[in-house]
Amino acid sequence: MKILVCIKQVPDMESRFKPDSAGVWFSETDLAFRMNEYDEYAVEQAVRLKEQLGGEPELTVLSIGPDRVVEAMKKALAMGCDRGVQVQDPSVHLKDPWQIASIIAEFAGREKFDLIFTGLQSQDRGSAQVGVAVAEIINYACATTVVAFEYADGVVTVKRELEGGTKGIVQLRTPALVTCQLGLNVPRYPTLPNIMKAKKKEILVLPVAELLHEEARAVTASFYPRAKKGSGIVLEGDVGDQVEKLLGILKEKTTVLR
Amino acid sequence: MKVLLVGEYRDGKLLESSYELFGFAAQLGAETAMLLVGREGELPLCGGKVYLADVAKYGEYNPDLHKKLVLAAVARENPDYVVFLHSSYGWDLAPRVAVALKAAQISEIVAVVEGGFELPCCNAKMRRTVRPQGATCVLTIQAGAFPGLTPGGSPQPLQVDAEGTPGVTFIGYEAAEEKGVDLAKAEVIVSAGRGIGKMDNVPVIAALAKALGGELGASRPVVDGGWIDHGHQVGTTGQTVSPKLYIACGISGAIQHLAGMKKSGFIVAINKDKDAPIGEVADVLIVADVMQLVPALTARLSR
Amino acid sequence: MNFELSQDHKVLQDSVRDFVVKEIKPLAMQTDEEHMIPDALVAKMGEMGLLGSYLPEEYGGAGMDMLSYAIVVEEVSKACGSSGVLISAHTSLASGPIYSFGTEAQKRKWLPALNSGKIIGCFLLTEPDAGSDCGAITTSFRRDGDEYVINGSKIFITNGGYLGTGVVFATSDKSLKHKGVSAFIIDLKSTGVVILKNEKKLGIRGSYTTAFALDNVRIPAENLLGVEGQGFKIAMDTLNGGRIGIASQALGIAEGAFELALAYSKERKQFGAPICDLQAIQFKLADMYAKIETAKLMTYKAACLKDAKKSYTMESALCKMLASEAATFVTKEAIQIHGGYGFICDYEVERMFRDAKITEIYEGTNEVQRVVISKLLLA
Repeated sequence: MKILVCIKQVPDMESRFKPDSAGVWFSETDLAFRMNEYDEYAVEQAVRLKEQLGGEPELTVLSIGPDRVVEAMKKALAMGCDRGVQVQDPSVHLKDPWQIASIIAEFAGREKFDLIFTGLQSQDRGSAQVGVAVAEIINYACATTVVAFEYADGVVTVKRELEGGTKGIVQLRTPALVTCQLGLNVPRYPTLPNIMKAKKKEILVLPVAELLHEEARAVTASFYPRAKKGSGIVLEGDVGDQVEKLLGILKEKTTVLR
Repeated sequence: MKVLLVGEYRDGKLLESSYELFGFAAQLGAETAMLLVGREGELPLCGGKVYLADVAKYGEYNPDLHKKLVLAAVARENPDYVVFLHSSYGWDLAPRVAVALKAAQISEIVAVVEGGFELPCCNAKMRRTVRPQGATCVLTIQAGAFPGLTPGGSPQPLQVDAEGTPGVTFIGYEAAEEKGVDLAKAEVIVSAGRGIGKMDNVPVIAALAKALGGELGASRPVVDGGWIDHGHQVGTTGQTVSPKLYIACGISGAIQHLAGMKKSGFIVAINKDKDAPIGEVADVLIVADVMQLVPALTARLSR
Repeated sequence: MNFELSQDHKVLQDSVRDFVVKEIKPLAMQTDEEHMIPDALVAKMGEMGLLGSYLPEEYGGAGMDMLSYAIVVEEVSKACGSSGVLISAHTSLASGPIYSFGTEAQKRKWLPALNSGKIIGCFLLTEPDAGSDCGAITTSFRRDGDEYVINGSKIFITNGGYLGTGVVFATSDKSLKHKGVSAFIIDLKSTGVVILKNEKKLGIRGSYTTAFALDNVRIPAENLLGVEGQGFKIAMDTLNGGRIGIASQALGIAEGAFELALAYSKERKQFGAPICDLQAIQFKLADMYAKIETAKLMTYKAACLKDAKKSYTMESALCKMLASEAATFVTKEAIQIHGGYGFICDYEVERMFRDAKITEIYEGTNEVQRVVISKLLLA
């Protein structure tokens, strides 16, 4: 059995973001990068499936981007993936979701995976399109927003998280693709021995030109900070003062303090 | 300009949020038609065309066939945009339609702006404006970003059908866990987010809730992390609340949480980050370390 | 000269940092207050592989290098100095000499349990009358058939309270001074090993600092480490490597305090502006950062030299001295930057200040480090 998990390396979301010189994405100066949080759940689920099947499946992790994405891939390898594929692209941030999906679909089409795991969306762009688009291109069954996953004999049973906390139970037959929601599982820490073992795992590097044959369908015109419409009061300074001021405001504007 | 709106139907009903699609269309000044997999008794209150596919035949969740139904309606309507809600139904279906139409998809639109559509990014801290290229374009709109608009009138249903073998089988729904806590009745809710630091700090937040005679709420990451039970979760996949006073402790303000509490009477946010998106909805933003401020506030209230 | 961490080292650093932030940091205050690292956390550190980082895979270690080990201790110590020294003493001072001087049989017998963290290791050298002058130990051993019998007392033994595996130093003849010393591997649960006390301390309160009585403790002859009379050399060699561990601990403590002070200086407003706008504070931050970077470079250099199997005695003495003095300086300034709040327990800098002091004292006082450095200069 062959499994693919697609990951994206994103900046730490606690960071302060500034537009880059072109004004269409964030500047990378002073940013620390990590694996997209949704993808951690995808990697963990893929590794658990491999373990459930006695280690037989070959698990590939793929990421698109400049060489720094190899760091995130190594974490996935240390969590239990067998091999990595880096689609080398120094300007991945200029590709739209359609192009990203087409690159992955081109690769997946060559390898004929039984199951593909992706995150529901990326924390930076958040378009929530790539996983489903890949499945559509290569004609795989697909379900999104997975918060529970089971597999037996070619049948995948998942629970999709719906608004209000209800879950929808869905079944798919492989070949299939699922997009993973936060809370699907508890991602494991890569242990030190596994980080060492990951060093020996193969990482294939493919230039993006080999896989990308599509033009962008949407264009980012500009990237900028949110206009702060919040008309609220901002209280800064000493904790004691903040508490007194807040109580004054609550007494004036609400009826909750009697 | 023509738009095809894809309505949502679940548990036997047209979802109220479907009217936000009309609100969006109004901002574009577009002529609307809707596609709905539903039934005759639950049609939207609008005067235009409703391409109706029988939910008894196609099911409430059946993306492969729903895609074909949307495509059938697109073929008859020839819209400029096909618009979905950015929901568990919409983000599951829209990309399939976009790929089939060879169209761009622009997701989670929050505003119509000069030169395109405005989308949130980087945990809602930033925005970008995106322009589609090409003829038809698939759009998804953020829940609550556009007002629900009931156009009024009687819809003209047109039957639409499609053939095919579905790739996914819908087995059934599983109800949300029993809400041990009914946040809907609480006058005051004090919620804990990841910013409280660790599970051991939850009692500090609970103590403030108690001092105010209120209930404890939680953001999703805190529930996922097992710090607080799901029954206290506020947000799209938890409870929607509107207490007189909502105090958000260490919550950044992800859109899914805001959706669950932004209609509260008075909102106080306590956060180290002055730029946290929760500032958008807060009446008062206290820039402080939650674990310093909350005990001080609780102590002061107990005096 | 490449001053960048390799991608593999960055991956390690990120992984350890993630674990520390989620698992160790939330328990640091409790560890200090209760004078104990929770057993469940020690077990998690073991599962993570933090307790056998540079020992080879064939003995259950992670097979990493000394630089990786330094990074592990540094990252852990940023959150909790007690946890940092547990790892350092266990790895460098117990597993270390067994690996460097043990027979194949000894390595296979003792290392796997140590490397997995199932057993915690310690180094029993110091005695009430033998600290810096460790050649003057009086704990004795004599051969009796196929056993050795050990008598004496040991104090200030880090990790002692876990009653795990120890490397104990004893002499056959006090008059031979350091030439009479031999080293033995000891199971601290053996009959005759008695914990006299677990000390209450100024800092690293979560770390066991144990006083032992060794009363006719019988150990199998095969537990002799190296050959008789080699003990002093084993001790010196071990402490040489251990200094990198302690330097990393001190470096981590300094960095943890610095991060808090930097953040605080940006938030705290007085006279209408954040205090980081004041040159007095800016100069403190600059001095703190300078000392941290210096200590870091020297610690990493010592680790890299050891990895390259080059002589590193000078660098290990230098890094231990520099990092410990950086830690006491930085933590003191960090409290000062916090003003009155720095004195309050809720603000963790006071704990870091208390934790920092011991790094100037143990594993060779900084006076001893200066002896080592000047001797090498004047050789």
